[in-house]
Amino acid sequence: MEQARNYVCTECASAVPSGHKFCGACGAGVPHEAQTLETKFFGALQMPGKARLIVVRGDEAMGEGLSYLLQATEHIAGREADQIPFPSDTWLSPRHANFLYRGEKLVVRDEGSLNGVYIRVRGAAPIKVGDHFLCGQQVFRVDATPRDTSGPEADQTYFYSSPRRPSAFRITQILEGGMDGIVCCAHEHTVQIGREECDINFPDDVYLSPKHARVEMSGESLELIDESSQNGTYVRIRGERELSHGDYLFLGRNLLRVEVTA
Amino acid sequence: MIVCSRCSKDNQDHYKFCLGCGAELPRVSGKPRSLSTDTPPGGSTGSGRSTNSPRSRAGQAEALASAPQMELEPTPMQAGPPSPVQEPRSDSLPAELAPLGAHTSPCPHCGAGVPENFRFCHVCGHDLHGEAGGEASADASADAPAERVSAPAVAEAPKPAGTRARLILIQPDGSEGEMFPLSAEPTLIGRSSGGIFANDAYLSPEHAEFRFEDDQLVVKDMESLNGVYIRIEPDVPIELFDGSIFRVGQEILRFDGPSAPEPAADGTQHMGSPHRGYLGRISLLIGRDSTGHSYPIPPQGIHLGRERGDVVFPEDGYVSGLHCRVHSEVGHLFLTDIGSSNGTFVRVSNESYVPQGTFVLMGQQLFRAEY
Repeated sequence: MEQARNYVCTECASAVPSGHKFCGACGAGVPHEAQTLETKFFGALQMPGKARLIVVRGDEAMGEGLSYLLQATEHIAGREADQIPFPSDTWLSPRHANFLYRGEKLVVRDEGSLNGVYIRVRGAAPIKVGDHFLCGQQVFRVDATPRDTSGPEADQTYFYSSPRRPSAFRITQILEGGMDGIVCCAHEHTVQIGREECDINFPDDVYLSPKHARVEMSGESLELIDESSQNGTYVRIRGERELSHGDYLFLGRNLLRVEVTA
Repeated sequence: MIVCSRCSKDNQDHYKFCLGCGAELPRVSGKPRSLSTDTPPGGSTGSGRSTNSPRSRAGQAEALASAPQMELEPTPMQAGPPSPVQEPRSDSLPAELAPLGAHTSPCPHCGAGVPENFRFCHVCGHDLHGEAGGEASADASADAPAERVSAPAVAEAPKPAGTRARLILIQPDGSEGEMFPLSAEPTLIGRSSGGIFANDAYLSPEHAEFRFEDDQLVVKDMESLNGVYIRIEPDVPIELFDGSIFRVGQEILRFDGPSAPEPAADGTQHMGSPHRGYLGRISLLIGRDSTGHSYPIPPQGIHLGRERGDVVFPEDGYVSGLHCRVHSEVGHLFLTDIGSSNGTFVRVSNESYVPQGTFVLMGQQLFRAEY
């Protein structure tokens, strides 16, 4: 005894191979449900090529662990956004970032926000003067060394400045509210940031690793290097950035993880 | 007393956690003991950089200073920055500030292995020298006032007729040099007034004016490029205002009050590092309009020094181990010299009284006013 291996015609009880629209024996129609034998997903979360964002650390009003499935072509995140709203985070612009698909690829685009979108650096990333980055709770900007303005006046008086030491670039801490905090001029070619024994130290920042990250100049170019820190180093994106599975993003105070189904 | 860095509450020395908020308190170097120099806290700072020989470091700073070496400089001052006393170098550091020793001995109080050059146990804070406290105060007194430049008793020189006061040049080695007489009438000095001022390229042609108001000598800065600095008395707080400039060793520092951009029109606030109620910041002046290193001032204030403090200048041999502090009292910010050898100088804004015996820094030269 065995089970019929195909659809069985309800009129004449003949076997109808899959894909046939009519019964070969009696001509009766095969119902539409029986014709499509594609396997369905349990849920939309499994849809291939679709991504979701998981709130790792989030807006108080929205809670943590929340996930957003990116099923449409564009998804706006922001303080007043409909799709991915973070209503209580005042560091987010009303319309802050857009998660959109370009072909198969998910990209995030900064919608001209005040505070930008930060992506976790995997190992090291190139960085330029004017770029911003995050370590622990701290926000930094890379600045150029100002031009020497200590030359003589027209009347041949020389400006007395503090002793200057050669410095390739400088790192400026930005405080909540936008005021500049610590400024550290690179001692030779490197500035190291961490909780202790670095060039810039934040002993009370519990999200920093003892040695967290460094900015290094080699030749003409600067590099931001994460020193295998526990919580990572994040760099502000310019314009838009392609995302892949396992990327982490900071939007204001919100930390998001990107999951892309293969 | 340990001041909690999170909530600013005062805690007793032996507390490991803050009574106010429970935050872990610093146990070793972060222990801000009394400001007087008689109990230097254990701990080491700047041990990595302090091994350079003092001469080479001073030379380095000199060579890197943006100012050119003036050929017209006739006196031996040309290489000498104005503050004359080279601080005791790290090779003569008190033992407790030297780099960590490899050898340890058990603390009699808690049994932790304590490096032998520590005065206090780094685990429980126990005073390992106990009654050997006399040694500490001896160290301290050797550290600071003994090597003061100022000879308090000045040999009475006969005053030329019409002279009401004198500016006495202090030479790089601390000895007294030439004397410049000031009459009762206003006296303009600067590069164009010749004499000892003629060849100081850091003096403006018309730099400052000295005059008498009743019995007080007054100096007025004639909008000079580099200004007139007056040494402040130790342990007397001087208020700082937005833009105030002061000098510590060879370093020129500027205080800037708190300032922040407006939030965006759509209500978005500027993202940033946690703002711990900073009261402004101090920046190193490295050009007319440019600053170098900069540090915000937290509500509990900051200490500056060569070896100790929140902001250290390990490469400036004219800065004392612990030099001065910037602190807040009743909503105002003050600068206090805490017994430095070479003093803390404040730039005169417009004009200032010059009390008898005050050190005045103009251009590259240091003077003492006597009247």
